[in-house]
Amino acid sequence: MSLFPLFHWLQSTEFFAALSGSQLVYPIVMTVHLACIAVFGGMILMTDLRLLGLAFTNYPAAEFVGSLRTGKRIGFCIMVAAGLLLAGSKAETYYGNPYFWAKLTLLALVAVHAVVFRPRVYAKLAELDRAGVMSAEAKVAAYISLVLWIGILCMGRLIAYYEPPRSPF
Amino acid sequence: MLLQGSPIGDALSADWIFPTAECFHISAFALSIGTIALVDLRMMGMGLRRYSAAQMIGDTEPWTLLGLLIVVFSGLVLFASQPRIYYPNPALRFKIAALVVAILYNFTIHRKLALSDVSLMTSRLAAGVSMLLWLSVVSGGLFIAFV
Repeated sequence: MSLFPLFHWLQSTEFFAALSGSQLVYPIVMTVHLACIAVFGGMILMTDLRLLGLAFTNYPAAEFVGSLRTGKRIGFCIMVAAGLLLAGSKAETYYGNPYFWAKLTLLALVAVHAVVFRPRVYAKLAELDRAGVMSAEAKVAAYISLVLWIGILCMGRLIAYYEPPRSPF
Repeated sequence: MLLQGSPIGDALSADWIFPTAECFHISAFALSIGTIALVDLRMMGMGLRRYSAAQMIGDTEPWTLLGLLIVVFSGLVLFASQPRIYYPNPALRFKIAALVVAILYNFTIHRKLALSDVSLMTSRLAAGVSMLLWLSVVSGGLFIAFV
């Protein structure tokens, strides 16, 4: 079953048609999306660098992650909401855009990352703090997180550069 | 202006350079403004409260600088690919002006207030101004494509 009819319908709803037609609202939603990337993305990058022992080395990792958790969750929700608005208003073009699907795949892998590493690393940070050294697993989790999120940022940018093959008609 | 049509301009307008520079631009943007935002949040009394704003500066500044270096360099590459189109763009001019003010503010007033013992009110004000300045840089950048 193809999802195209769904994407086509979404874009043609009055709501998304108005959004994509707006010279002002669309860029503002984009600004919100980007501002969240800076604040929330910055928190993720620094968390990964903390686990790698490259930043905030004297700050207990458990507390570091704990203090940023609420901020990350709020940021993530606003970022996704703005992202859905952006994607919804261009749903038809996004449907055929491989970078869009690559971005969604990477986001799904972020969920897998959370399921795999939360019990092994993020729930055990206090233990790692007491041991005074980050486990190899924690570093692997941080490297994978860095690769996933930088990948998501890049795929997001590249969505704009994909040109669909010309229709033969 | 001189860049367009020159060997450097031609090299920079190759198909893959622009998207690649965009990837560096956005990743380094998250790093630079993200680290500044962490300091701002701390100055507002939120986030990493175990550290003082001064300690936050010490731990984030190398990353902020690295991020700014990459973001400015990749931005120059983006600009150099089509300077004749970008140079007159009012959103770009606004962005550059906001960027200059934001950088100057960040490394002078903002830094000084973060490093010294000031009232929460002053600290919050300084952080709010910082956030507004960086937000105007970001929105200015976005509007380049829309004006």
